[in-house]
Amino acid sequence: MTDQEKTVRATGRCHCGGVRYTVRGPSRPVIQCHCEMCRRACGGVWKATAARRDDITIEDDDCLTRYRSTPAVQRGFCGRCGASLFWNHDERPYIGISAGTLDAPTGLKLALHIFTDDAGDWYELSDDGIAKAPGIPQDMSALKFPAE
Amino acid sequence: MSDNATGPASGHCLCGGVRYRAKALRRKVVACHCEMCRRWTGGLWRATAALRDEIEIEDDGCLAWYGSSGEARRGFCRTCGSSLFFDHVERTTLAIMAGTLDQPTGLELAFHIFVDDKADYEAITDDLPRLPAGGHGLKYP
Repeated sequence: MTDQEKTVRATGRCHCGGVRYTVRGPSRPVIQCHCEMCRRACGGVWKATAARRDDITIEDDDCLTRYRSTPAVQRGFCGRCGASLFWNHDERPYIGISAGTLDAPTGLKLALHIFTDDAGDWYELSDDGIAKAPGIPQDMSALKFPAE
Repeated sequence: MSDNATGPASGHCLCGGVRYRAKALRRKVVACHCEMCRRWTGGLWRATAALRDEIEIEDDGCLAWYGSSGEARRGFCRTCGSSLFFDHVERTTLAIMAGTLDQPTGLELAFHIFVDDKADYEAITDDLPRLPAGGHGLKYP
């Protein structure tokens, strides 16, 4: 089966529609990252799903802009409206996708809070029953992609 | 903390290309669950606000504005993409994305707005007021 024959499982876009994407494969459960970099990048609290690199097709009207936030990570945003869209680690087989940019319904669940030691003081990390990791999680089981 | 002031405060975007200082922050943090704010931040929009004449913004040509509706524009860093400001024509305040503030902020979350539009993966687990649309009613000085 070619990539184009695989069923579209998710779609999304930035605020202005200048960057649009389709996902032809499973999406990872949502993580909420409380680190300072993610807070500053999205301005709030970053929530991300992810999809395998080969399953994502991005269309943009020359709007997708990339910023290398660490030596190994590029963040993708729309240069026209400023929406935060992608988190792309050079050595990982998947790309993080800002969950807020997904079209509804997503069918996804929040699975893990990470870098909770770095959370902002302006919100409470309430007892939501979701696993919490002070930094990078030791137990990655919540981040498994669902089966095809 | 009263609804009306804390500060001074400072903040910057991810790359530091846009920096700001506010004499005071005039509102607690509001969490907006509407689709526009969700798509713009990619996560959850959470903002405080400062009076326009009490905030100084320095940028190295990095601050870009996007007109997101007839009444509002949104400010972001064109270098790193950080979401920073929400500017409504009828308000005396400029909304500041709380995630871009330097810590500690001394702020607290006050309200959830537009909860009827919240994402299906979003669970609100605190006891703060939840409004189906806008109009949180937090007063400005």
